[in-house]
Amino acid sequence: MTQERQDQLADGSYEFLAIFLEGLPFIFLGTLVSGFLGTYLPRGAFEKILPKNNTLAVLMSGLLGAVFPVCECAVVPVIRRLVKNGLPVSCALAYMLAAPIFNPVTAISTYKAFNNSPEITISRLAMGYMIAVFIALIVARKAHSFFLKASVKAENGDDHHHPRNLNAALNNSLRDLMDVGLYFCIGVVLTAILKTTVIDPTDDFWKELANNSIVGSIGMMFLAFVLSLCSTSDAFIAANFHNFRYGPKLAFMVFGPMMDAKLIFLYSTVFKWKFILFLFVAIFILTGALSILFETRILPGWMSQQTEILLAP
Amino acid sequence: MTSLDTRLFGFLACLWGGLLIYFYHSTRIRDYLDIGFHHFIMVGGIGMLILGTYSLINPKLQSKKNESSKSCDHDHGHHDEKHHSHNHKQCHDHGDQCDHDHEEGHGPFITIFLTLTPLILAMTYTQDKLSNGGMAKKGLYEKPALTSANIPPFSRQDLEKNVPKNEHGEFQLRMISAYYAAGDLEIQDIFEGLPVELEGRIAPEKINNESGDRLRIFRSIITCCAADLQIVGVSLEFPEGAKRPQLEDWVKASGTLTFETVEGDVLPLLKIREVVSAEEPYSEFRRRQ
Repeated sequence: MTQERQDQLADGSYEFLAIFLEGLPFIFLGTLVSGFLGTYLPRGAFEKILPKNNTLAVLMSGLLGAVFPVCECAVVPVIRRLVKNGLPVSCALAYMLAAPIFNPVTAISTYKAFNNSPEITISRLAMGYMIAVFIALIVARKAHSFFLKASVKAENGDDHHHPRNLNAALNNSLRDLMDVGLYFCIGVVLTAILKTTVIDPTDDFWKELANNSIVGSIGMMFLAFVLSLCSTSDAFIAANFHNFRYGPKLAFMVFGPMMDAKLIFLYSTVFKWKFILFLFVAIFILTGALSILFETRILPGWMSQQTEILLAP
Repeated sequence: MTSLDTRLFGFLACLWGGLLIYFYHSTRIRDYLDIGFHHFIMVGGIGMLILGTYSLINPKLQSKKNESSKSCDHDHGHHDEKHHSHNHKQCHDHGDQCDHDHEEGHGPFITIFLTLTPLILAMTYTQDKLSNGGMAKKGLYEKPALTSANIPPFSRQDLEKNVPKNEHGEFQLRMISAYYAAGDLEIQDIFEGLPVELEGRIAPEKINNESGDRLRIFRSIITCCAADLQIVGVSLEFPEGAKRPQLEDWVKASGTLTFETVEGDVLPLLKIREVVSAEEPYSEFRRRQ
C-alpha cells in the first residue's frame, strides 16, 4: 500500500471515529427519549396539543426547535417514535427538518461565526423554517404509503394497548438505538470515505466555483452533503469559505443540516428511499433558489467577505 | 424481538457504551472531540452500558405473534372531524393488550456485523490525528480569509491590555490572531514587526520554502469534533545555523511577526529568535469562542 493510501486509511479512520463518537451519545439520548415517549405518551396526546387547523399545526411544529432544541442526529429517532404514536407526519417532518437550524444553539453559533451578523443568522433560520414548512405542507396532502415505511406508520386504534412500564420503555429504546445506530454507522462510513478520497475543500475546483453564485450554491450544497457537519458547528466552516458570497454560504448552512450523507441513512429508518430522493431534490431546489433570492434581493449591499477574528487570548 | 435478539442487542449496546467509556477514560477522546463534549461521552457510555446490561439480564420474553399493525394511510387532518370520518376500530382490532413489536428492524447479527466491522477497522488504523495531507485539507497551508468592516476597531492599546507577555517582553499571541491578522490591513499595521511568542505544533512548510529554511507552526480550531476541524498556521523562518525543532514537536516559537505577499496573497511570517520545547496541552484543540 502506498503512503498516500495509508494516510487516507488513517485519516478516514480518524474522521469516522470523530463523527461516530460525537454522534452516538446524542443518538442514544434521542432513542432514550423516543423509547419513553413511545411507551408513556398517551395516544391522541398531540390532538390536544396541536392546533386543529392542519396548516397552523405544521407552522407551529416548524418552530418547536426553539423550545426543544435538538441536533439532526437526535431528532430522527424522536420523530420516528412520535409518528408511531400519532403525531401527524407533516408536523413531524416540519420539526425534523427545521429543528437542527431553527434552534438557539445554531442561531448563536451562526451569529458568532459571521462576526455577530444578525442578518445572516436570521436569513439562515428563516430559510430553514420556510423550506421545512413548505415541504411538510406538500407532504400533508400525500398518502402515507408514498413516503412512510410500513413499520413506522401510526399505531392507531382505541383498543390497542401496549404495556406502559419501564421494561417496555427500555425495550423500545434499545430497539430504536439499534435501528438508528446501524444506519448512523453506515452513513458515517460513507462520509469518512468521501471526505478522505473524493473531497478536498482546499482544492482550486471549489475556489473557482465562488465566481458564480448559482454554481457556487450547487457546489456548496454538495460539499455540505459530503462533509456531514453538525448544524451547531457548520457556520464556522461556511464563514471561512472566504471566496464565496452569502448565497452559497447560506446554501451550505441550510442544506447540510437537512440532508447529508449520514442523514439519508438515518432518514431511511423512517421514510422510504423514493421519498428520501424526493426530499433530497426538493430541499436542493428550494435551498438553491432561496439562497440566490436572499443574496440578490434580501441581502443586497452586504459585504460578501466575512470571518471571525479573535484577538484576546 | 425474541429474548435472544434482545440479549444480542444488549450486548452490542454494552460494547458501544464500553467504547465511549474507554475513549473517555484513556483520554484518547481529547484527540477527537472538543473538551465540552467529553462529559457527554462518559454519560452516554454509562447510559448505554446500563441499557445494555438491563437488556442482557432482563430480556423481554415476547410472543412471536406476527401481527402487522394496520394504519390509516394519511395525516388525520389534525382534529378536522370533517375529514376524520372513518372508524379506527375498523382499522385495528387487537386484543386488550399486545406485547409485541410492530417494527421491522434488522436482526442483531447484521447490526453487530455492520457496526463492529468499521469500528474495529477504524480502531486499528487510526493514528488519533490527521496526516499532513489530511491537515492540508483542513487549511494548514491556506491563506487567511479577508475580514469585514464589522470587526470592532483594534488598537495597540487593546493589544497591550489584552495580550500577556513572556519574560522576554514578547506578546503571547494566539495563533489564530497572528493568522487572521494577515487578512486585515489595520491589524497588520499593529502587528508588523511585533515581538511575539506562538505556541503550537510543527509541520513541514510548503509555501515559499525553496531554500528549505522554513517550518510551519499550527494550531487546530474546533467546535464539536475533528470533522469540523480547521487548522491555522504561521510560517517560521529560521536564521542560518539555528537549531530547529522536529516535525510534530510541541513548541513555543519566539521572534518577530511580519507579513509577506506570496502570489498575491498576504501571509503571516515569524522570523525566529528561538524555539523551545513546550508541554503538550491536555487537548491540542483551541475551542472556538
